[in-house]
Amino acid sequence: MTVEPRFDELIHAPTRLSIVSLLTATEWAEFKFVRDQIGLSDSALSKQLTTLEEAGYVEIRKSFVGKRPRTSVRLSPLGRNAFAAHVAALQEIVARSGLGLLPGTV
Amino acid sequence: MDAPRIGPIDAELALAEVRARREQVIDANLVPGWFWPSLGVLMLLFVGAVESGRPWLVATGSVAYALGLSALIISIVRHARIQVRNDLLGVRGGLAIAAFTLALVAAGIGLGFALEALGVPAPATIACVPVAAGLAFGGPVLMSHLRKLMLARPLAGSR
Repeated sequence: MTVEPRFDELIHAPTRLSIVSLLTATEWAEFKFVRDQIGLSDSALSKQLTTLEEAGYVEIRKSFVGKRPRTSVRLSPLGRNAFAAHVAALQEIVARSGLGLLPGTV
Repeated sequence: MDAPRIGPIDAELALAEVRARREQVIDANLVPGWFWPSLGVLMLLFVGAVESGRPWLVATGSVAYALGLSALIISIVRHARIQVRNDLLGVRGGLAIAAFTLALVAAGIGLGFALEALGVPAPATIACVPVAAGLAFGGPVLMSHLRKLMLARPLAGSR
């Protein structure tokens, strides 16, 4: 599938880039997993996820396992497309510069 | 494309972050090394117990196998915490898993029947030894192969 490069300011913010990069490799991911992997507090992660949810980039699901509440999150199709376009834009920037510091970059 | 708002070094660093996070997810999801020898030992004990033909040993072995397998699966599910996207594994990953499974099953059954035909005692248990060894040594190799496959997938437009 060809992706039209499009730099996305919302995704590119460092914390959100980490969150979206993590989510793009997963199906539903538990809130706690994302929090632990990224190293954020509950409130900081909630804030970032709310921003992404308002943009339509993530879906948040609240459920119960026994009596314990469980929050899960995943990228929406819109979020996946935006992320793919953003990565393509980053790759294009690197390709145009001829930089390619790391193998498999472009 | 929109005009780039960042320089190439920042773009490269962002791509490195994307790769690192994907690697983090994959590593968190792979079956841990201890699973494979544990499964091999469980299988070997189960087959040995069944082949003994002693009712108390068959019953004990079956219960121990069921409990042991359940404990292994629960440990794996707890360890994983998330599920890697299926399209990251891809057709090649699925084929690698299928080939690994089929090779072990074919080796075990083939060797078992051959030993039985030769009149060797406890043919199924003996045939299970290389299968258990295949699990113990081949499992981590399979995981390593799957990890490489998943990390080699393109970062964008991989759907």
